[in-house]
Amino acid sequence: MATCKDCKSFFAREDDRSQGDCVMRVVDPRQAYYQATPVETEKDASKCSSFQKK
Amino acid sequence: MGQRTAQTEKALSVDELANRREWWSVAQKTRSKRLDYLRKGVWKKGAIGGNYAPGIKIDLTLPQLFTEKWQEQEGEPIMLQKAHAIAHVLDNIPIFITDRSQIMGYIGSAPHQIVWHWQGISMVNEEIYNEEGIIPEPEEESLEILATLNDYWGGRTAVDKLARILDPEDAVKFMSGAIGWGTPTSAATYSTKDFTYIFKGFEALLAEIEERMEETEQKLQGNPSPQLLPLYDKLPRWEAMQIVLEASIRYAKRYARLARTLAEHFESDPTRKEELLRIAETCERVPAKPPRNLQESLQFDHFVQVLARYETFEGAWPHRPDYVHGPYYDKDVNQEKRLTKEEALDLVGEHLIRTYEVGIFAPKWAREGLQGITGTWVWTMGGVKPDGSDACNDMTIAYMQAARLVRVSNPTFGFRWHPKVKDEVLRECFECIRHGLGYPSMRNDPVLVANTVHWYGHPVEEARTWVHQACMSPCPTTKYGCQPMRMASATANCAKMIEYALHDGYDPVVNMQMGPKTGDPRQFKDFEEFFGAWVKQMEWLRNILVRTVNLGRVKDPEFFGRPFLSAIYERAVETGTDACDPSNGERGNAWVTGFTWVENADSLAAIKKFVYDEKKYTMDQLMEALNANWVGYEEMRLDFVKNAPKWGNDDDYVDDLMVRCLREVSRHAKENKCPSNNNWPLLPENVSGNIHYANLVGALPNGRRLGDALYDGGISPGPGLDKKGPTAVLKSCGKFDHVTDGRAFLLNQRLSPTQLSGEKGYQLWKAYMKTWADLGLDHVQFNMVDDATLRAAQKDPEKYQEVIVRVAGYSAHFVDISRKTQDNIIQRTVQGLG
Repeated sequence: MATCKDCKSFFAREDDRSQGDCVMRVVDPRQAYYQATPVETEKDASKCSSFQKK
Repeated sequence: MGQRTAQTEKALSVDELANRREWWSVAQKTRSKRLDYLRKGVWKKGAIGGNYAPGIKIDLTLPQLFTEKWQEQEGEPIMLQKAHAIAHVLDNIPIFITDRSQIMGYIGSAPHQIVWHWQGISMVNEEIYNEEGIIPEPEEESLEILATLNDYWGGRTAVDKLARILDPEDAVKFMSGAIGWGTPTSAATYSTKDFTYIFKGFEALLAEIEERMEETEQKLQGNPSPQLLPLYDKLPRWEAMQIVLEASIRYAKRYARLARTLAEHFESDPTRKEELLRIAETCERVPAKPPRNLQESLQFDHFVQVLARYETFEGAWPHRPDYVHGPYYDKDVNQEKRLTKEEALDLVGEHLIRTYEVGIFAPKWAREGLQGITGTWVWTMGGVKPDGSDACNDMTIAYMQAARLVRVSNPTFGFRWHPKVKDEVLRECFECIRHGLGYPSMRNDPVLVANTVHWYGHPVEEARTWVHQACMSPCPTTKYGCQPMRMASATANCAKMIEYALHDGYDPVVNMQMGPKTGDPRQFKDFEEFFGAWVKQMEWLRNILVRTVNLGRVKDPEFFGRPFLSAIYERAVETGTDACDPSNGERGNAWVTGFTWVENADSLAAIKKFVYDEKKYTMDQLMEALNANWVGYEEMRLDFVKNAPKWGNDDDYVDDLMVRCLREVSRHAKENKCPSNNNWPLLPENVSGNIHYANLVGALPNGRRLGDALYDGGISPGPGLDKKGPTAVLKSCGKFDHVTDGRAFLLNQRLSPTQLSGEKGYQLWKAYMKTWADLGLDHVQFNMVDDATLRAAQKDPEKYQEVIVRVAGYSAHFVDISRKTQDNIIQRTVQGLG
């Protein structure tokens, strides 16, 4: 089962390796930005449409 | 102007554009690439007319995160329960860093999203469910989430709780929408913030709270007594403050982590990499510790403002950023030369943009009343220090210059003018006005300091720290002066005073008996009797609003709860109370906002002259004409418009009546008391309430018909009715005392950009300002955009996106306000000076 830690967009927290950020590049009609969403390292990513294997 | 091709437009130099007074094009050509990108990248959050711009969506992540934790913590004291819920939001809401940005923090998950505060009013929650265009895709799924949230919060919101204890008759009258607006809860509010306390850093505040808790726990181990019992309630409040402060530090560190991740894994440009590492260092430092430089102080400030808005809908932004950040600018730019002026200007410009991008959902009535903006974010500039010396600094100038570059309509500025203001600073104010920003509004500092001392007894040193609490009302930024909650829910639709005096307290528009029965005016024997009826209606209208807000205020800690605000309020930290608890030492700074005020003076003058003095018409004839909305009485109506005395023409006949009305209200303002046992003076102004109430105020004796826009200012003459020039307007406005006859008085003036061009224009304006100051007026603000530009913008809005006008206590982009408001601004008399 693919989990968040296997994804290119996942960056583990140094103070707590069980947590991390899912960092995505977003380009909307007005501006471009990077968005970080907190996720658990072992979260099931099999249904995530943005999953990219490391 | 509108016929130029794109090619010729491109070819025009900055000087040529300036000569044409196309200041918005000048700004686009002269601002840095960073500011240009950030300015153009902002999603417009203010409603256009009354509707949100395409692409704006409501953020559902925030209420879901909050509610799931809130439900888990059910049964805890409200402040503690809320603290846990806010901390859960701050730990889990998505954050973002926009390309080229240097200041972090946003309320919501993405730049195009706006938040709403579901704990405030069920009716607003229902309105969101039915609001087209703002529901995120997939819509069906979002509506299901909304329905679940609404089901849970229905009956649990702050106003739902308050409504159960309100007098039902008061509630029905208030909910009619005819007499006033606002919500008597800190769920829709604004708060003054004391940055001398906050900038100690959250770790220092946490240490202070810890010390208080330890002291209290020790006391509780002593001899049991009734005096100890209230202490038990303080402990969970302090714990709540700790939870939110710790979560706030973690929230900032999430930005630090993201910035570092981007620098290490995503960014290839060495300059941006360096910026990202600086952002990381900044967000690791603040708000935990005191700021050391300009970027840290601006970042700390913005985090505080964002965090306060995660807790509640803060609809205004009381602040004095030049005073707060000036020392850091001085250190970085002048002393240590760590930043160039241009680099500092980039930070200051971004500070304005980051503020402009904040969006919070407002119900339709509020959007109509505040067209084009999210809230009345009037930042205070200039003024004096507590010792009375000039407080203007390089940051005052930097904000004025940055404002001309980024041309946002929120925040706007109010400038505290005083006799020691240097010419170079005054010129910067004038340049902003000449560039058509509509701001800064000019405030007479000595008058308003004296006014603040007069009405509330604030010590003069504290009064000198004042900021605009919303559009207009000064409030000290001190331990006991800070005002934590919006008291302007007492916002009166004052034209109803004269309307109810004419109709025996009955409202002919909403068809209800509203005010007291003061008699049929046809039976009144003289003007004094009529005026007596007006006084009774005025007292009734103020009383119903004030008692509702007073009740909402004292119940707020029980019904809503403000852990974050309490944690940054010195008196709340010291006493272990909610910041909104009026018993914790707050001195009181309440006021009644008076919309549609001047109609009273003009209508009373018309009645006195035509009905009682000259007996040209009987009261019966007047009532017939008013009941017919003047239809069939056009000749008579024009007589009332043209030949009855009108405010703003230096005519004692009507001006004396204005003064008399104000003095009656001021007497009553001292009889009304706020929960801190202080006064409730009147503050006449309008935001865009003059348009909002156009269909709620019936025909009036000044010749106005139901549906016509009401007068635009607080003491501005009716549009086109000031026939005797700007000095006559100032003289009328100078006939009452701006210290003792009310809280503050909004005066709109339109000036000619042609006449005020060049050095001569500045000197003319300066002479006008001297007359204004000599007459003791407290406020004036200017529109200086010509009719041709405004009409061109009506025809081709896309080309004029950055044209700004002064609406009332705030500015808006002209293309974002309704056609009716646009026309109302064009109709205002252009005053020629000199």
